[in-house]
Amino acid sequence: MGGLIPLTVRDLKRWYRNPVSAVVGVIQPIFWIVLFGSAFDIAKFAGANTSAIFEGAPDYITYLMGGILTIIGLFTGMFSGINIIWDRRLGILQRFLMAPINRASIVFSRILSSVVRIFIQVAILFGIAFVMPNGLKIVNGISILDVVILISAVLMISFIFSSLFSIIAVRTTKMETVFGIVNLINLPLMFASYAMFPPDLMATWLSNVAKYNPVSWSSQSIRMVLIHGSLTSSEAHTVLIYMLGLLALSVFMLVMTYIVSNKEIRE
Amino acid sequence: MDNSIEIENLTKIYSGRVTAVDNVSLKIGRGMIYGLLGQNGAGKSTLIKILTGVLKSTSGTARIAGNDLNKDSLKIRRITGVVPQDLTTDGDLSGRENLKLVAELYDIPKKEAEERIEVLLKMVDLYDVRNRHASAYSGGMRKRLELVCGLVNTPEVLFLDEPTLGLDVTTRENLWSYIRSIQKEFKITIILTTHYLDEVDSLADELSIIDHGKIIISGTSEELKKSLNGDIITLKLKNDDEINKIGEFKNATEIKLMENKEIRMKVSNSDEILPVLMKYLSDNSISPESINIRKPSLDEVFIEYTGRNINAEQENKDYAKFMRAR
Repeated sequence: MGGLIPLTVRDLKRWYRNPVSAVVGVIQPIFWIVLFGSAFDIAKFAGANTSAIFEGAPDYITYLMGGILTIIGLFTGMFSGINIIWDRRLGILQRFLMAPINRASIVFSRILSSVVRIFIQVAILFGIAFVMPNGLKIVNGISILDVVILISAVLMISFIFSSLFSIIAVRTTKMETVFGIVNLINLPLMFASYAMFPPDLMATWLSNVAKYNPVSWSSQSIRMVLIHGSLTSSEAHTVLIYMLGLLALSVFMLVMTYIVSNKEIRE
Repeated sequence: MDNSIEIENLTKIYSGRVTAVDNVSLKIGRGMIYGLLGQNGAGKSTLIKILTGVLKSTSGTARIAGNDLNKDSLKIRRITGVVPQDLTTDGDLSGRENLKLVAELYDIPKKEAEERIEVLLKMVDLYDVRNRHASAYSGGMRKRLELVCGLVNTPEVLFLDEPTLGLDVTTRENLWSYIRSIQKEFKITIILTTHYLDEVDSLADELSIIDHGKIIISGTSEELKKSLNGDIITLKLKNDDEINKIGEFKNATEIKLMENKEIRMKVSNSDEILPVLMKYLSDNSISPESINIRKPSLDEVFIEYTGRNINAEQENKDYAKFMRAR
């Protein structure tokens, strides 16, 4: 994949040199955790039942953490295709197409730079969640394996959605198309999942749909390791199933992206 | 002279309908500046995009420095340099960073790349502003940066697609001298597309006129001018009656009716024919609104072979397009 690293570095340079996008990227996770975690503190009404309703979490922020980490992966991933269209419209893409590189690296550099950005956001989010009053409480400790699960889940969600949107961007010339699709599917993906609320609080049909949403799989896996620390064998089994599901989807999407971008990318 | 580029029956049909390049065959000798002259939409850029591997041809083939376009696309991309019509440098990166990125994409060893980039930046007088963001460059500076982007990999063949589009006269002449010095310094083959007649006249060793995707005629500028066989007199007339009468003027080798009641007449020698024509006009009471006599020029060659003028309106459109692209 010649060209992958220089193109990724270039994409990241553009990101941190543009103060607005860099600051938004940092502030957005803060909004998520402060607004959703504190302002929508559903646990207030649940009182002593909080832990029972929120799958063992001591408060809503701790419950929400898995969902928000996933959503950062989802949103940043969804917008990674935009930059390809932007480059196409500016003419810069032509320069890359003329270079003797594997053309898939033009697309994969975007996916890779999204991943880097996501991890910076995730780190900031964690820092803030810990220091804010009534913030994240990790009661049962966290092991290296838990961190690996957490990181892989976010990574795979961002792979799945950045691949999907990169495939769309490979031939599209209109930003509006991508924005339209993002707007259309981001809310259903977020709310028809376990990202914000446990299945018990959902209408039955919704929780049935949410079961098959990869956003649920990632949210739930991260949540379980954050809340429970060491997992029981049945919990570990659930996490394993979710992670395998995410892995299968990621591999499928990345292979599709490779094939499509290599063959179909146009100026 | 051996050929740097051999194109055989190359055709590109967009979405099964629009034929942008129509059965083009062409041989271009090594080490020359070759001009492709044509209006916008004539198929020049499409041809360049096919030759540089950005687009796939519908049929036909080409060899660039001995490499088959359909088989060795990667090799061809490695040994060609391109300066496309649109700006392809990244405004968020500095001039030096842009060149560095290109060098990395061509896998040029770091140290070698740095030396080369310094030489190139100095060559086009951008060394002093090398660390400034490209978005802060003027139009001419940006174009110069584009020019050296195409040279980072020291190509065997350099494609310049409308290199001076939308630039002012001084900047254009400046850029021409850079192009000439590049050709001298690197001894490479340069393919230049343009719709500026003075540009090919000033730069190109040989040229082809391309229209509606077809090569209409090829040769040196001098050969093409000679092929007109004489001078051109154009008369702007008032009515059909006058047009009919002038049609019977015997001393012209060719008489053509153009747009807006304009008559284009070819004569062997305008100095001798003009008195005869004046007498004919007065004898037949034809009073033209204007008479224009021109010795052969590329302008005339273009009109002769395409039936159209490369007009000023086109240039305005180009400028608007260029400004949008920035």
